[in-house]
Order: sequence, then structure tokens, then C-alpha cells
Amino acid sequence: MIRRWIKACFQAFTSKSKLKQRLREHDVYSTSFAAVDLELTSLNPLTTQITSVGYVSGKGGRIDLSSSGYHVINTTADLGQSPVIHGLTLDILKNGENLAETLCVLAPLLKRHILIFHNAKLDLVALNSAFKCCNVPPVEVVYIDTLKLALYQLNKQHQVLPSNSATLSVCRQRLDLPAFIEHNALDDALATLQLFYAQLTELGITKDDALDCLLHTGAVGRFKLGST
Amino acid sequence: MTAMAKQVEDFLDTSAPFDSLDSEQKLKLVKHTELVYLTADNVKELQKGKASLFLIQSGQFSVKDSDAPLRHLSEGDYFGYANIIEKRNFPLSITVDSPGLVYCFDALAVEPLLEISTIRHFFDGLSNNALQSHAIADSNSMWLYKGLLDAIEKGPVSVDAQTPITDAAQLMTSQKVSSLLVTEQEKLIGIITDRDLRSRVVAASLDTHLPVSQIMTANPAQIMGNRTLFDALALMTEKNIHHLPVIDHQTLVPLGMVTASDIIRHQRGNVLFIIGELSKAENLYELTRLSWQLPHYFSAHAKKAGDYDIAGKILSQATDIMTRKLIGFFQQANGKAPMMFAWLVYGSQAREDQTMGSDQDNGLLLAKQPNEAQAKYFSDMADYVCNGLAKCGIKLCDGNIMASNSKLRLSLDEALEEAKQWVKAPTKDAIMHFNIFLDVRCAAGDVGLFKQLQKQRAPLMQQNMFLAALTRNSNEISVPLSMFQKFVYEKGRKEKDVIDLKVRAVALINNIARIYALADGVTLPNTLARLDALSSRSQLSKRDAANLRDIWLFLNRLRWRHQLENKVTDNRVSVSSLSSIEKHQLKAAFKAIERTNQAMIMKFSGGVS
Repeated sequence: MIRRWIKACFQAFTSKSKLKQRLREHDVYSTSFAAVDLELTSLNPLTTQITSVGYVSGKGGRIDLSSSGYHVINTTADLGQSPVIHGLTLDILKNGENLAETLCVLAPLLKRHILIFHNAKLDLVALNSAFKCCNVPPVEVVYIDTLKLALYQLNKQHQVLPSNSATLSVCRQRLDLPAFIEHNALDDALATLQLFYAQLTELGITKDDALDCLLHTGAVGRFKLGST
Repeated sequence: MTAMAKQVEDFLDTSAPFDSLDSEQKLKLVKHTELVYLTADNVKELQKGKASLFLIQSGQFSVKDSDAPLRHLSEGDYFGYANIIEKRNFPLSITVDSPGLVYCFDALAVEPLLEISTIRHFFDGLSNNALQSHAIADSNSMWLYKGLLDAIEKGPVSVDAQTPITDAAQLMTSQKVSSLLVTEQEKLIGIITDRDLRSRVVAASLDTHLPVSQIMTANPAQIMGNRTLFDALALMTEKNIHHLPVIDHQTLVPLGMVTASDIIRHQRGNVLFIIGELSKAENLYELTRLSWQLPHYFSAHAKKAGDYDIAGKILSQATDIMTRKLIGFFQQANGKAPMMFAWLVYGSQAREDQTMGSDQDNGLLLAKQPNEAQAKYFSDMADYVCNGLAKCGIKLCDGNIMASNSKLRLSLDEALEEAKQWVKAPTKDAIMHFNIFLDVRCAAGDVGLFKQLQKQRAPLMQQNMFLAALTRNSNEISVPLSMFQKFVYEKGRKEKDVIDLKVRAVALINNIARIYALADGVTLPNTLARLDALSSRSQLSKRDAANLRDIWLFLNRLRWRHQLENKVTDNRVSVSSLSSIEKHQLKAAFKAIERTNQAMIMKFSGGVS
């Protein structure tokens, strides 16, 4: 029992130091980032299904618009009230792509980049179950969560956070980024990447800093997609 | 597969000139586009990177991208185009004043687009600092310049060439038309008119069972449907005909017929027509009834930019006629005036740039000091005319600059003395008070008297001290642009993005034209006429004068359209209601006004302001 506990502790420690090691190798301006966003059928991590995926990549404060990708998934899941949010109705989804094929397109992208999510947890859980469900070989990803970065900044200023103070739109507004229409996966991904760049500037992170300087914010993590 | 994010597409759609691209062209462009969050940290790479066209979406930057001086730029501004257009390699220098998003379009993707004339024109305009004035060149249009297709009301009434004369005559009767189009395989081959039936059939006792082709006028004069009513009128006058077939300019299929009576009917919809009617009014009631139709006429018939250019002039002419009519009515009831007088108008009415919201500014100039009875006569007349104008919809002046105010009924000597006072002590308050009187015109009464006043006071007003004071006063207003060339909106308004074009821009051009005109001894009150009349000795260059004229017309169009579309009488135009290209034009206009104003200050105030 105790041995198992020590082993778990050790593993946690080594995994953290491994992550730290990995991040230290990357300086902020030569790392390729890819922002990914999913639109889901619900907010329940156990049952939620992917309706669409959007992504865009870039580095050094630049975003290569030709790397933009957008896939609508042909899902059979119960949409519930979600079309009200993301606007993807049954008719649109019917013409969508197969989930497994999309994941195969996505996997190399996830592997090669440091991923940027706004609220990583939900999207990672959804991706994880999609990987498992489609039997896609597991992929280990390193991600940065702009929501957590925003909370880190907000907690410096507030004892109690005002409600809705960390939504994508509100975070962008705080950093003087232009308004946009939310809840299209590609648009949200593009908006998230812009937000991330602006947050780096806000945090005073410069060209020569390595990515491990973000560790203390609690916004960086590692996740193995598709592992049991 | 590259997808285009909605926000990218939306941004391009609101950014002239790319708003004119179709979605395929946009996608092609976006494939070669980077979006950069530009900070002090990564700006160096951008400067060294490949040639691109840059468009700012947010943030503020100080940029030097050509031989032109450093520019402070913000959202909606382009830079880097000079290198692409002139195909050279001027080193780009950017300072980030506030980080933000910048679109970088690869030069290789932009170059093919420059072959599209509107896009080429746009960037040529940007690099020449010129106003985008593609529509301004042809500004002399009138209400007669209405498209023919809008003017013909009936569809074509036509018969085949083989139709018997009787049937054709019956068709004309049932359709209540005085002429018919004669066709063969849908193409127009002739026309017949009432007159043909009279002279070629009845008078000649012709068999009415013969086909119409026997009596028609073959190969008649005709006009394409894409021409204007004016073209039709010109052709009909030239050929001395009353019926003119209109045909489609591509298919040559007849579309209808314009007749002399159509033209008369449209003439009634012409604002010039209502001016004619105004001058026929026989009493105050008729005059007011007609006057109240003016706003309606403007909103119904002013459609094109050219209409707005002359709208102010027409409104001023109408006000002049009302004034003369009212003076006439007063004299009919109270007898002739006891001495020579001139009815002077000031401000916008003098400049002939009245809008619907302009109030009356007027005064009386008398030949000599009146005695008590004479003073009473003019006081009564002024009251009658000012109140009459108010009834006609020209509202009373809040500042009491009206002939009904005894201080504005001056004898010639008094008026000269007053001008001397202005020149002697042109303090800020004094200028505020008398600036409006410097734009003056005689609308009624004895023009000679007014000319005498102008002649005598012109040399006074050419004095350097006086011009310097006026110039300094003009410097008190600045164009509504911030340091970073962002629009500065009116404060404390319900609408968040409005600019008062009259106060912030038109007034400045009026000031500039007035000061150069005074210096040059030009006595005309109208801003455009002043700019035109400046002699070669004037210090305002021909090019600047022409540019100011274009800007003035452009601003005038914006405020007239604002007033007519929103049925308001203010000049507070909402920037979000403008098209993308108009926003660019407006910004360029403000910059040009500011430049000219600064140059004027350097010239007249001895560089001290």
C-alpha cells in the first residue's frame, strides 16, 4: 500500500520534472503552437460528443492563416439544446466527416505542437474518449490553458472573481483584442491563439524566455489522449 | 484544406478595398496571409521579413514605410503598400505604441489583385495622399439626370408590322397611348403616332385594312434604356419629335416610349419646379404651403451624390425667393420703403450651403440713419419677414442674428464703423461674434448699396493683423482625429460613434476659404466659389483649392444623405453608417483639412499660434 503510494508520488514527481525539462527546451518564440477548439453536444464530460473541430497554428506571435482547419463531425449523438450555441443542426452534421478520419488528420498536429485551449479540461476529456472510441493510437500532448492563465492574472487582482470574468470574449476584451462571434470552432481557436499571444505580452514574457516560466501559473499540463 | 474563419472574412468584408473581392479571391488571399500579434518583441522579424501589405486590426503603431514622414497608425490603416506598388525596397520601420493584431498579406498574393482597377485605384490614392474621389468628378448632375428606366412607367405597347391599321388604332385607344412601337421579330422597325393616323390615313383616305408598316415612320430615332431623361430630352429637341422609343442597350428589344408629356410630368418632380412655383405665390398662405413641400421634394428626388451637391444651393435660392416675396407682400400692405435698403443674409444662407436644419441669419443695411417713423417701418418689415420665413420652415435664429433685432439694422455709416471696430480689436470673443457676418450676401433690396459697403470695407479686412487673428481663431477647432488617426467621436451623445461634420470639418473648410478670400480681396460668400475665384496671387495653391473643393462636396454629400435618410436636421453623422471606403475617405479628408489649416496658420499668423 505504502509502496504503491510512494510509487505514485514518484511517478507524479518524475512526470512533472519531465514536463519541466521538456518545456525548458522550448523558448517562447520558436515554439510552434496550435490552438484547438471543439464544439460539443453537452457540457457533461461523460456523455459529450464532438460536433466540430477547429484549429490554427503559428509561432513567434504570428498566426499562419493558411493552417486554419475546420471539420464538422457526422455525429449521431443526441444534440440536446447544443445547436442553439454552436449553430450546427442535424442537417449540417449529417453531411459532416467521419470522426475517426478527422482524428487521424488531427493526431500529427496534436503531436507536433504545444496545444492552446481555452478551458482545456472539457476538450481534452472529449478528445480522449473520441480517441478511445475510434481506436486511434494514443498521443501524448502538452497543452497550455488560456482560461487558467486568465484566472492566474485575475486572482492577483480579485479576492472573489466576478462571474463570467474568464470567458473567451471577456478575456480578449480585457486585452483590447477585437470582438468576434463566438462558438464556431475555428473562430474560437483563432481567437484563443490571439489571446494566448496577448497574454504572453501581458505576463511580460519575452523572446528569450523558455516555456517553463509558465509552469507556476498552473496553466500548463500534459495529457495522454487515448490511454486507458 | 484551408478554411477561413468567420472573423477573418468579416474583417476583410469591412476593409476597403478587399470588401469588393468574391469569396474565392478572399480565400486565395488568406492562404498567403499571416495574422501577427505585433509586440515590441517580435516587431523586428516583421521589418526584416518578406515584402507584405499590412493592415492593422487593433493596436497602435508608428510607422515609416516610405519617403513620407512617420505616420501614427491604428485600426483600419494600411502600411507597406508603397513598396509593393512602386516595387522597391524601402526599409520598414515600426514602433509598437500599443500591441495589437496586424494582417500581413504576402506581396505575391497582393500583386495580382492590383490588376483590379478599384483596388489599384485605392492604393494609388493612399500613396498619393489623395481623397478617394471617384464619384466627385461628375458632380454637375441634376434631377433631370434620372435613369430612363425609372422614367418610363408603362411597359412597351407594340404591334407586329403586319397588323392592320384598324387593329393598331383600336389598341392605341384601349391602352390610352398616343403612339405604338412597330416590331418585326421583336426588333423595333418603326413607330406610328396619332399624327400618322391623321395625316397618312384619314387625310389620305387610306384603306384601314392595310398593314401598319405602310404608314409607320421607319427607322425612328431611338435611345438606349441606360441613358438619362436629359439625354432623351436633348434628342427629342434636336429631332423635333414628341415620341422616342427606348430600347434595351444589349438585346435591342424595345422597352417602352418616352413622350413629351412624360418629360413635363417629371419636370414637376424637379426641385427647380417648386422654385418656379414659389416665385408665383401671391400671398403668405400660398408661400408657406409650397415651402413646406421642400423637404418632401428633397427626400423624394435627391438620390444621387450629384443631387446633394446642388441641394444646398437650391434651398438657399428658395429662401431668397421667400424673402423677396415676403418683402413684396409687406410693401403691398404698407407702401414703399422710405429709403434704399439691402436685405443681407449671413452664414450658411450667404454661402448657399443651407441644410434642412439651418436657421435664418439676416440683417438690414440702410442707406442712411432713419428717423423714428422710418425706423418703425423697417422694424415692422423685419418682424414680418422673419416671422414669415419661420412660417415657411426656416426657423428663427437662436442667437438672434435676424433683421428683427434692432442691432442688425444698420445704416451704411454704422456698418462701416462696425467693421472698423472688428479690425481694431479682433479679440477671441469679438471674432466669435462677428465671424458669421464675414459670409454675407445681398438677398433682396438694393444690391448697389451692399456693393458700396463691401468695396469700402474690403481694404480694412485685408490687414495682416486682422487675418492673423482670424487664423488663430480657426486654429481653435481641430479635426476629429486622435494622435493615432482614430476618429474622435462627439462626447455626451446617446449614439457612441457620431461626428458633427458641420462643426468639426465643414466649418474649418469655410474658415480656410474665407481667410484666403479676404486676403485676396474676393467678396463672394460661397465657399466653392471663393476657392474657384482665388487669384494666382493667392497663397493657396490650385491643387489644395481643388482638393478642398472635393472634400467639401464629399462632406456635404454625407450630411445631406444623413439628413434625408434619417429625417433629421442635425449634422451628426454616425461613422458606423458609412461604407468602408467612405470611412477611409473621411479620414483622408480630415487629414487634408488639418494639413491645409496648419499651412494657413503658418502663412497668416506669422508662425505663432
